[in-house]
Amino acid sequence: MGTPTTDELEKLEKQTLVDAPHEDFERSAETFVPGPYYAAAEEVMAELEAGVPTHVAGAKANPKGLDFSVDRRDFMRLFTVATAASAAACIRRPVEKAVPYVNQPIDQVPGVPTFYSSTCGSCAAGCGILVKTKEGRPVKIEGNPEHPVNQGALCGLGQAEIQGLYHPERLKTPMQRHGRRLDPVQWEDVYSILGEAVKKTSKIGIFTGGSTGHRHEFFLEVLEKVGAPKTALYTWEANSIWSDIAQAHEIAFGKAVIPRMEIKHADLLVGIGTDFLEIGVSPVAAAKSLSAFRTHHNGKTGRFVQFETNLSMTGANADKRHVIAPGSELQVALLLVRSLYEHPKVKVSGIAHTMAQSLLRTHQSELDRAYATLQIPKTEFDALATEMIQSESLMLVGGSSMFSEEATKLQLVGILGNLLLGAYEKFLFIDRGWMKSPVVPGDLERFVAEAPQLDILFVIDSDPAFTTPASWGVTGILEKIPTVVSIQSFPNDVDLVSKFALPGHHTLESWGDEEPVEGFWSMRQPVIRPTTDSRQAEDILLWILATSEKNLPYADYHAFLYKKWEAVQQFSGNLTVVYDMFFKAVLRRGFIGKLTVQTLFAQLKDFSTHLKTLRPLSTGLQLIAPLDHRFHDGRGAHLPVLQETGDAITTVTWDTWAAINPNTMTKMGLKRNQVVELSTAAGKLKVPVYPLPGLHPDVIVCPRGNGHTDARSTISNNAGLNPLGLFAKAQDPLSKEPVTALVPVKVAATTEWFRLAALQKHHDIANRKDIIKKVDLPSLKVAKKKNLDHVPDMFPKLEEGEYRWGMAIDLDKCTGCGACVAACSIENNVPQVGRDQVILGREMTWIRIDRYFYGDVNAPEVSFQPVNCQHCHHAPCEAVCPVFATTHDPEGLNAMTYNRCIGTRYCANACPYKVRRFNWWTHKWGEMGKRAQDRNPRAMNPDVTVRTRGVMEKCSLCVGRLRDAKHEAKETGRKVPDGAVQTACQQTCPSNAIVFGDLHDAQSRVSRARQDPRAYLLLGGDPENGHYGLKTLPGVSYLSEILRYGLHQPEHEQPHKE
Amino acid sequence: MSDLVAWDKTISDVNEGILVGLKKPHPSFYVALSISVLCLIIGAICWAIEITYGMGTTGLNNPVYWGVLITDFVFWVGIGHAGTLISAILFLFRAKWRNSINRSAEAMTVFAVITAGLFPLIHVGRVWVAAYWMLPLPNTNNVWVNFRSPLMWDVFAISTYLTVSLLFWYMGLVPDLASMRDRVTGYKRIVFNFMSFGWTGSLRQWHHYEAGYGFLAALATPLVLSVHSIVSWDFAMSMQPGWHTTIFPPYFVAGAILSGCAMVYTLVLPLRWMFRLEGFIRKEHLDCLLKLTLLTSTIVAYAYGIEFFVAWYSGNEYEWAIFQKRAVGPYAFYFWVMVACNCIFPMAFWSRRLRANTAVCFIVCLLVNVGMWFERYNIIVSSLVEDFLPSAWGHYEPTWIEMGITLGSFGWFFTWLLIFCRFFPLVSMSELKLIMPKPLRKKSEGH
Repeated sequence: MGTPTTDELEKLEKQTLVDAPHEDFERSAETFVPGPYYAAAEEVMAELEAGVPTHVAGAKANPKGLDFSVDRRDFMRLFTVATAASAAACIRRPVEKAVPYVNQPIDQVPGVPTFYSSTCGSCAAGCGILVKTKEGRPVKIEGNPEHPVNQGALCGLGQAEIQGLYHPERLKTPMQRHGRRLDPVQWEDVYSILGEAVKKTSKIGIFTGGSTGHRHEFFLEVLEKVGAPKTALYTWEANSIWSDIAQAHEIAFGKAVIPRMEIKHADLLVGIGTDFLEIGVSPVAAAKSLSAFRTHHNGKTGRFVQFETNLSMTGANADKRHVIAPGSELQVALLLVRSLYEHPKVKVSGIAHTMAQSLLRTHQSELDRAYATLQIPKTEFDALATEMIQSESLMLVGGSSMFSEEATKLQLVGILGNLLLGAYEKFLFIDRGWMKSPVVPGDLERFVAEAPQLDILFVIDSDPAFTTPASWGVTGILEKIPTVVSIQSFPNDVDLVSKFALPGHHTLESWGDEEPVEGFWSMRQPVIRPTTDSRQAEDILLWILATSEKNLPYADYHAFLYKKWEAVQQFSGNLTVVYDMFFKAVLRRGFIGKLTVQTLFAQLKDFSTHLKTLRPLSTGLQLIAPLDHRFHDGRGAHLPVLQETGDAITTVTWDTWAAINPNTMTKMGLKRNQVVELSTAAGKLKVPVYPLPGLHPDVIVCPRGNGHTDARSTISNNAGLNPLGLFAKAQDPLSKEPVTALVPVKVAATTEWFRLAALQKHHDIANRKDIIKKVDLPSLKVAKKKNLDHVPDMFPKLEEGEYRWGMAIDLDKCTGCGACVAACSIENNVPQVGRDQVILGREMTWIRIDRYFYGDVNAPEVSFQPVNCQHCHHAPCEAVCPVFATTHDPEGLNAMTYNRCIGTRYCANACPYKVRRFNWWTHKWGEMGKRAQDRNPRAMNPDVTVRTRGVMEKCSLCVGRLRDAKHEAKETGRKVPDGAVQTACQQTCPSNAIVFGDLHDAQSRVSRARQDPRAYLLLGGDPENGHYGLKTLPGVSYLSEILRYGLHQPEHEQPHKE
Repeated sequence: MSDLVAWDKTISDVNEGILVGLKKPHPSFYVALSISVLCLIIGAICWAIEITYGMGTTGLNNPVYWGVLITDFVFWVGIGHAGTLISAILFLFRAKWRNSINRSAEAMTVFAVITAGLFPLIHVGRVWVAAYWMLPLPNTNNVWVNFRSPLMWDVFAISTYLTVSLLFWYMGLVPDLASMRDRVTGYKRIVFNFMSFGWTGSLRQWHHYEAGYGFLAALATPLVLSVHSIVSWDFAMSMQPGWHTTIFPPYFVAGAILSGCAMVYTLVLPLRWMFRLEGFIRKEHLDCLLKLTLLTSTIVAYAYGIEFFVAWYSGNEYEWAIFQKRAVGPYAFYFWVMVACNCIFPMAFWSRRLRANTAVCFIVCLLVNVGMWFERYNIIVSSLVEDFLPSAWGHYEPTWIEMGITLGSFGWFFTWLLIFCRFFPLVSMSELKLIMPKPLRKKSEGH
């Protein structure tokens, strides 16, 4: 991304191996100069419009020298105009112009991308993004490297929103319901009808998703204006972890905050049912932190122990994993607290001490029995407690597999454990830069109780009709409310029961802000003129208010933000610049912040009363419906790139499965892909089974997020199933969140079969030794530096260019999240092929994540391995192509010439890594993307060729980015500095597992990674013992996994095959 | 050899006996031709569909990038082998029994190679540029073809083989064409005269002819071995376990001869009946063919065995895993069909009694052809489905498009062969005369 400045270069030099810079919230707000790369939309607009006043602050300059004296004719003219104007409309829409390039605008060079900084709106974590626009069109979303939350990384969902922006199934116009039909209607009519309605009643409510910014404040102002109580704002997220943690802290400390996690400062992390890598509270930030935590440096590295009942992606990344009975998380947490408390070295006093004492006394007999029922001896807990006490440790508890009646209780026990460990204010911050809760706990319950009395309900960017269990009757409630106005950036289930379905702006078209960490404000700005006839939801409310003569004093939501941010300027202390300049500077940079301090920790209260009763361990099969790490509660289900990324653990795409332990399946006589009927007290669901090692034998995991049966999108329509109908109305008594986990379930086999579209068909590594390597800490200590390129062979020496590009992938850090797959697909215009083609094995992704199981079926080890083209120096594919369509580039790239390719597919047969992809079909990209699965030409990256039917393609190491970097380096007359060019997968990797650079430069990070004692080449044999494997000499090297607890799994029982 | 043949005809019956069939073939000829054309049309439609919609219409996928179509290619190249073996190598060895079947074997060779040559075009992703870029034509980009690629070697090997086979075949036809010319009048005479290059059968012509024929036979002999060796390199030169082995060239050549001999038998038996050639293609000739089949079958069986041994002995876990899976894995069915058809059923030919039973021999030869098709399918598919990285392992099932094209290739082959049989003598009249007994002078016909 541009030439790095001297500062950046210095920063790069300071970096340690494989480590990206870790921004810190502790850094105080700096007075900053706008950087050269990021632009503020409105600034460019202002320059373009040349003299036309912008819509900022509604300033409408009077043309000078206007004569105000009125004669008879002028009076008639004015009178006519005024009458016509008042008859037409009373509000003036802000002018938002899109300027075609008839004349080349300043700062806009065709072919040179412009980056806008903004804030991701996919979840409430508030990651900073940079939107790459080419000729005015956003083509890629990347993490903002300066942003303290995500530090340049971004999850798959955030990146996939580029497909959401251009999605052909977005509402094109506002719709009004006539009976069972939704018909197009004019915006003016929407405003007048709703304006009238709002005039008549004050029983108005707003239901929306989570946000930490000014959005909810704005909604409160709207409600106040229409005379509705503040409580009529309902905020709810299906990811209840926010509410659970916030509610637990409300109980414990008196304020609903979420501690800011800094795992990286700790040595030992103990998780109990946590899934912070999947979604958690801020998955990208957590992955970044975990990556730093796991960095191996001089024998020191963080260790992660997980107790869980299902096999989550987070658990798969743990160094030691205990499989526990479903619903026993609370017992396990208490047993751990007990061992900690009984440890002689624990120094804890005050409330925490008395709480622990009373709790352990109350549950003494239950806990004594628990060791036997859990089948984990007390010594194991004691040993772990000792290890925790002896190192810097913290506990993370709860996740979407634990959204049961005890979710908040578990959080409370987690707080207690962390109090005993002294983790607060060391790794978990509630006094220095804590996280705000984006939702108010218990709003859904309140909504269900209060909503039937409402006359008008606005549902804004939220889908309670789909994401709540059917037993909560939200759809029924919505049907009963006379006027439901659904304002969505993408159509969803609420539209089916709403009176009005209004197209809201996409995140990339709207204004907004988030405050992910108290005091750190992140700005959202539009980066493109609205692509459909949509409106910003807040603006719709403003216009409705204006029509009903209850105006708020803002021309639009931007004006509201502009006003609110004055306080941010005051707070951040950037007072030397005028406000407008400050605002624009924030737009360029994306965020501003200053560490805030409070004294919440001191206000600890005794919360042991909430833990008086424990739910007894129930036996029999229990059902868990965790959130899908790709599209969360279903908000990303319409994005084909996510559907095809594949679940990290099962690699299933496009479908919903019921994962069951293979041994349990054998006992029940079930086979892979057999359809079973799950039945609970609330309902029944037929779903195909997937044998998943590592699950507790008594648990069935059926993820939610898929199974839209409405007209949300043809992509999500009939893709998968929604398990939420299986949950009876029950709630966590503390956080009031619905129960979506750990309910008893019965499984009945059917005679039906359904082939799940799994990317990977074989899951066992077949005892092969040079695919994934592992090394334990003692042998790592004595391991020497490697020279992977020393491979004796008889090949002639290849031509060497100025650079030799290479990549290193750290398997110890890779979490398998799939963000790289999404990044690669979007950057390189890789098509999504759909379910049927995935079943045939024709997915097109240039990088795939292989997932292997080893060892015991009940407690397997899990490995993830991203595999892209290895760019072999002695490439088997190059020799066999009859027409020189794939050749070796002097810079070490294995290059494809698409025009030359005739499609013999010999190269793909010859490739031992099977990373080549053939275009079996013409992957359509019709005009504007006529079908949802067609690729919209506007969303294409213009730097990368779109491949035609019948040609081979594969990873190019983002050759377009390399070319750009080399051009820039040429202009400055020097070599491309290390780190100046990043591949798409590397750029977005939330765990810094991928390093890319020049192998000729011995000091580059990739060179050092290639010499690391852990380095090895895929299928490169065992070079220490003289076996060099295939001798393909890849440019991509791997860093082996670290066994922090040694090899703890005996290699006996092989996991099943398909 | 000819001494052992119980001839009931003499050389004076040759021209009349062979050419009579051309006047009015058996009605079953038209049935056979109609079926062949129908199959050809089906194949053409399937190929048209494949070109229109893409290779996705086949069952190919990642990792099985080659399947039935390449199987067909190797199968037809293999079939195209026996002809030249019989006509050239056996000619040099002076195996006289070849003279009765060499014409049909050569015709089979030419049409089989033409059929095989279609498959590289059928199976590429972009046929509309393939023919152009596979040829070493000068171009402004200065991009040459890749002479390192075995597929390129294929292009040269097969085109050379086809050229030499065509020449050899046509050269053998010349005296026969002259004989035919002598029996017809009108425009046909002009055409045959042109086609036989004005052959008069003078001693001088025969002298040059024999020298040239022998020379071409010598030239064709190494090609018999090279073509299938080069085809085997398509596989052996890649690193794919199950393919990457030095045994492939002789193994493929032996297999090709086996399939070719079996195919000649399968073709000659019905054609002999259709064109009433029983008097000229005697059971003793076919018996020799069956012995050759038996010999190559044992070589092939040995190759199968040694392949397993090498895979085990190499200590290469990837290689050994492929072979284990071939025998007992998901594609074991194909493997055992192959073993049964190519190694076990031909053992029937040890028995003289069974060799004399045409029905049994026909069925066994047919099964050998099936087995050889399965051998190629087995080598190609079972090696590709599960290779180095278990995560990339897959599955392959051909679609009806591929099966339709396979059917079409048989249609294409038989259409050409039947048209040839309709107009040209299926037995080399001039060469047959060399091995047949001279006519006994009949009292009434003395000069």
